[in-house]
Amino acid sequence: MAIVDIDDMYFHYPRAALGEGDEGWTLRGISFEVTAGSTLGIVGESGSGKSTLIRVMCGLLRHQRGTVRFEGQEIGEFRGKGANELRRKNQIVFQNPRRSLDPRMTIRRSLTEPMRALQGRKPDDDELIVSLEKVGLGREVLPRFPHQLSGGQLQRVGIARSLSVDPTILYADEPVSALDVSVQAQVLNLLMDLRDELNLTLVMVSHDLGVVSRMCEEIIVMRDGRIVEAGRTDAVLTRPESEYTAALLAAARLASLEREVEAPG
Amino acid sequence: MSVTDIDTVPDVDTAIPAAPKSLWRRLRRLPITLYLGGALVSIFVFVALLSFVWTPYPPNQLNMSNRLAPPGTPGFFLGTDRGGRDVMTELMLGARNSLYVSVVSTVVAMVVGSAIGLAVAGSNRYFQGPLTRLVDAGLALPGILTALVLAAKLGPGNTTATLAIIIWQIPVAARVTIGPARQVLALDFVEAAYGYGRRKPYILVRHVLQNISPLLIVLGSVMFAAAILIEAALAFLGVGVQPPTSSWGRFLNETQALLDAAPYLMFFPGLAIVFTALGFNLLGDGLRTVLDPQQSRSGLS
Amino acid sequence: MLEIRDLRVHIDGHEIIHIDELDLPPGARLGLVGESGSGKTMTAKAIAGLLPAEAKVSGTVRFDGNDLLALNDAQFARIRGKRIGFVFQDPARSLNPMMRIGRQVSEAIRLHTDLKGRAITDKVVELLTQVQLPDPASLVRRYPHQLSGGQQQRVMIAAAIAADPELLIADEPTTALDVTVQAEILRLLISLSEERQMSVLFVSHDLGVIRYVCDRVAVIYGGHVAETGSVDDVIDRPRHRYTSALLAANPGMPKDDDFAAFMGQRLHTIPGSVPAVGRFPSGCRFRNRCGHASAACASIPSPVTGADGHRYSCWNPGGED
Repeated sequence: MAIVDIDDMYFHYPRAALGEGDEGWTLRGISFEVTAGSTLGIVGESGSGKSTLIRVMCGLLRHQRGTVRFEGQEIGEFRGKGANELRRKNQIVFQNPRRSLDPRMTIRRSLTEPMRALQGRKPDDDELIVSLEKVGLGREVLPRFPHQLSGGQLQRVGIARSLSVDPTILYADEPVSALDVSVQAQVLNLLMDLRDELNLTLVMVSHDLGVVSRMCEEIIVMRDGRIVEAGRTDAVLTRPESEYTAALLAAARLASLEREVEAPG
Repeated sequence: MSVTDIDTVPDVDTAIPAAPKSLWRRLRRLPITLYLGGALVSIFVFVALLSFVWTPYPPNQLNMSNRLAPPGTPGFFLGTDRGGRDVMTELMLGARNSLYVSVVSTVVAMVVGSAIGLAVAGSNRYFQGPLTRLVDAGLALPGILTALVLAAKLGPGNTTATLAIIIWQIPVAARVTIGPARQVLALDFVEAAYGYGRRKPYILVRHVLQNISPLLIVLGSVMFAAAILIEAALAFLGVGVQPPTSSWGRFLNETQALLDAAPYLMFFPGLAIVFTALGFNLLGDGLRTVLDPQQSRSGLS
Repeated sequence: MLEIRDLRVHIDGHEIIHIDELDLPPGARLGLVGESGSGKTMTAKAIAGLLPAEAKVSGTVRFDGNDLLALNDAQFARIRGKRIGFVFQDPARSLNPMMRIGRQVSEAIRLHTDLKGRAITDKVVELLTQVQLPDPASLVRRYPHQLSGGQQQRVMIAAAIAADPELLIADEPTTALDVTVQAEILRLLISLSEERQMSVLFVSHDLGVIRYVCDRVAVIYGGHVAETGSVDDVIDRPRHRYTSALLAANPGMPKDDDFAAFMGQRLHTIPGSVPAVGRFPSGCRFRNRCGHASAACASIPSPVTGADGHRYSCWNPGGED
């Protein structure tokens, strides 16, 4: 069953200089579906619109043309309580954990924010500790401020914060690219574990094809605001149909640890 | 290698607390401007408050036998003025008036100004440009002229002076708030807050205001210095406080006729004004250094 | 070309860096790999004499026979830019936004060569052609913001090689770039190094990139060289436990027929995170995160040298030569 259903969607930022046809639009004619419980990887280079796309999908940005449906309902039509539910069910983990937590709020306060905002309740420490333990942290982080934690710990806090309101979809925007190599693996494993345990739909933006081929059954390759190629990850990456996907793949293999015979180019 | 359970191994980062620095070492790292400014401001506030319970002589006590006594005269440490009033008493009472006007005007201008600044920064893109220009127009208001017009309408007095300073300073506070507030609004944690359902007013107060508060503290002390100077200027021009209340500015005005006979009379209130304003400016400078996040993070990257 | 012996950097009383021995042969490309806070960038800066004044540097860094650390500022300035070129991580920040491309590239030529007037312009165009920028003749009149990130980095490289340096120090030169652009820049660096017999000191957090670019690699952790040797030895036959852990934590790419087995597979993890500067444990820097640590690790491991200069400092090494 499709949980998100996008059809011929266009998006541009305010004050974009729009031209002939779809010139100036950040996202152009996007159509695809996300199956409930699946994991989707969105790959592309900077400026491809991949980060913008997930922000439109979860309702943080409003598209101008086409439709984006969540659980069958157009995303712009959620109002009042419904809008809160939409927010609650669509949660995001951001790229840079140090920037996505308010430096002047304690971890305790940051963790309780979604529940205060969306459910109007203040959880007690016991409840917070349970959600911290899910991401491999303990109660000792509660009174701390972000600058007192490492990047990996902060990203765990970010994940715990997103999961605190029981979302159905978790969007992850390059969740490990700001972390040290030795810490990335911990966070990726954690995301996989939580996805399986909580039966989450996971939509992950990444520039790393290795990460995507490990985590995502399906993949969307984006360039210049358009979908270049989409399908099952193994199919797309073993037999890429577009030249662009092939180029991305070649570049990824070149910088991988294998001693590769370099593709001509 | 074997996969080790991450939970059993503490992060060194958190497991080993930084060696606590001794209080003395931490105090020594604070900038000298903070100490200088703090000292000058403390003296000013202390003197102003002291004037409520003690002055060398009762306020406005005329002493005709001791008119224009030079500084150092027994009983009159800083001398007396034309009416034989003790200069030290007058200056202490002037400090009180200066403190009163500056506190009221700075607090009101800060609160209103930064609220306007936050609102403009948070307004949607159609209003933001015009509103910012409006604040800029407010900045261009000639302050002294505003005060003169107000005085013509309301009559001179402390209220007029305070009001004039407020009107003068609100656009300053607003303009200084807009830029940093917009920067904070562009940060990731603000987007995260939208992501979990917070709305703009809450974000402006809870996230933006809190993150620009160090800046507002610095701004407050600089505005305080300005308020002291403006209060003195308005009193000097006769727009501010009226007799019998004492004021540094008016004291200056009254003594300028005696520039030849007793030049030292202008010296003391002038000095009081300069050092108090300097004190608040230094304090602001020191606070800026201390509160700058780049300074407080001692780590090396 | 470059011989580092007992290089130490102290800041605030902490010993941040201690590189006992590290060599870069002429014409070779040496990778310094490490995570943030490992000291790899600081090592490169110490070699280049670019550390802030509060850093105390000791030891020797021999460059073509001269000890760089013994030079005064004026002497160093004659070597920097002329015999040692630099490329930094973020080209957008390394280029002066108010200066035309031609002027920025010609700076090193004016400073370090005798060329004048028309000859300088010709040389700039030649350099821009060498770094494979399109239409170099008109490019010299452009400003940095008119170029893409990849093009800006090519300009930086052109400026770095303008005075024909014998050594190029590149600090994460492709980290700010997209993967396809990264591949082009890496190819360019390799071909320039080979054409000019120019040694390269390549600093990166990415072992995959290092393997592609470099012949030799030094794995840096906590300011120490954990392991060094040829890239094949270090990456295919790692001995130090940190190196093997880092390799195992890499997400990697599946082979074409491997996707099914790859999917959903958990990665090997390294517990904890890289300590803050100055908070590494004594002895082996990695021992508090190492699955194989023993009592011996409380003292600094003595280096073991194998074939082809494969050297590691680990009390409980894995694998075998």
